[in-house]
Amino acid sequence: MNRLFFLVREALVNLRRNLLVVAGAVLAVFISLTLAFGALVVNEVLRLNTLAWQEGVHVIAFLNDAGVNGVPTDAHEQLLAEVQTWEEVKQPDGAFYVDKAQAWVEYQEIFAGQDELLAIDPTILPASIRIELVDIDLHESVAFKLQQQQQVVRRVDTAAEQIEQLQNLSSVLNVLGIGMAVILGLSAVVLIANTIRLAIYARRDEVEIMKLVGASNWYIRVPFLLEGMIEGLLGAAAAVFLVWIGSSRLADALTSFALFHFDVGTDFFLRWGLLFLLFGVLAGVVGSMLGLSRHLRESEGVASAVPTGTLERV
Amino acid sequence: MIRLENVTKVYEGGTIAAHDVSFEMQKGEFTFLVGPSGSGKSTLIRLMLRDEPVTRGKIWVAGKDITTLPKWKIPFLRRSVGTVFQDYKLLPTKTVGENVAFALEVLGRPRSVIAPQVEQVLDLVGLSDKIARYPKQLSGGEQQRVSVARAFVNRPPIMLCDEPTGNLDPKTSVGIMKLLDRINRTGTTIVMATHDHAIVDAMQRRVVALDNGRVMRDEEAGRYERVPE
Repeated sequence: MNRLFFLVREALVNLRRNLLVVAGAVLAVFISLTLAFGALVVNEVLRLNTLAWQEGVHVIAFLNDAGVNGVPTDAHEQLLAEVQTWEEVKQPDGAFYVDKAQAWVEYQEIFAGQDELLAIDPTILPASIRIELVDIDLHESVAFKLQQQQQVVRRVDTAAEQIEQLQNLSSVLNVLGIGMAVILGLSAVVLIANTIRLAIYARRDEVEIMKLVGASNWYIRVPFLLEGMIEGLLGAAAAVFLVWIGSSRLADALTSFALFHFDVGTDFFLRWGLLFLLFGVLAGVVGSMLGLSRHLRESEGVASAVPTGTLERV
Repeated sequence: MIRLENVTKVYEGGTIAAHDVSFEMQKGEFTFLVGPSGSGKSTLIRLMLRDEPVTRGKIWVAGKDITTLPKWKIPFLRRSVGTVFQDYKLLPTKTVGENVAFALEVLGRPRSVIAPQVEQVLDLVGLSDKIARYPKQLSGGEQQRVSVARAFVNRPPIMLCDEPTGNLDPKTSVGIMKLLDRINRTGTTIVMATHDHAIVDAMQRRVVALDNGRVMRDEEAGRYERVPE
């Protein structure tokens, strides 16, 4: 208990006495993790928006008019009922029917204000079945099945090309975002290790004197590890806070920008924020270990390691 | 208490700092290691502290062969050996009291034990009134007294001193030697490397004279220079 108290006190006193170096380490963690966490948030925003864009109608089957040219009067209802049983179709409301009247309403909404386009015979607009799939990769199979119903189905349209492009873009952005987060996270560890090594180098005399009076290597390490943990935690906390606040503010400010949603949700920040805090602590510990192990290895001895006068220069 | 048996130390580059050195020190003995610069005095101190490994030979400290001591046990050796160096090796950011207490804190002693022991040892070295001062506020002699206090605070059976008066004027040096003599009278074995003629001659203790890493002379109640017969 005495040792623990002493070690914690040493760590806190050292943090207070070396504010500039501590600030450097905290800043290193803060900058690296802000960039890494920021990249992750941007990636999440893109992922959520891609998902949102992927939702909705994937396949449209335009139908021949019922009761005309040999198409049975109940052909539309029968086809809809059949489509609704397909396993590729999202349940329960993955397939729905849009009759000619609804199609005309939709048409009017789309081309509102364009009188020349609205001056058409509404009866030429076909009824249709709109289908949302459980997996957009199934669009070809569904389109093929629909095309087999030649008597009822006039034409099948899918958003296949656009969906594939969106998927490709999403995959690229995902890889880029995660790659950036990983690279920036690793650079955070390197930066912390380097900064803590500098901090240890600045206090090498203290380490030598601890060895001189019989402190074990672990006993020397612990205050530095605690310092690294605290520095990592502070930097990570500042990074998470800044990205969280910044992202929330941005989401609030851009709510009117309906095509793109910036809000990634509190759950995301809680989950990843906690992970980043842990990462900051871990990076501090790893940085301290790396910095200190090399120093302890280099200064196996004590008497020869501190040349005359170095203490006075600190 | 300390035994060196055919100890040889060769540094990288081939410099021989100790060559087949053998001698033994009994408990409570005060021994001077003397000789010109580069004679191997400091090297022997460092070898006895396991600050450096020997090239050949054996060294026993307090009954243990320290040449085969695993690295993780070296701190335990150092806890039983007090050390005093020419450059004091004090922490400038700690007060006199904190510097002395530091040696006990790393051993995990409770604060209730540390405080009276620090006061006691500072009283011994005559610095009770300067417990709250920082090293830079002290004279060289006072700083060396703090260093002696830190080395002695956990009552080690052995003290190794490497030129403890090297940075001090003759009058202050006498004060430090009186202090070491007083500690020696408590039964502590002291080995002191020095090239201070006056001190060695005045103390009239055992003298092991070195030159080019070899023991040239080993005399009880000796002098710095060989007395012509």
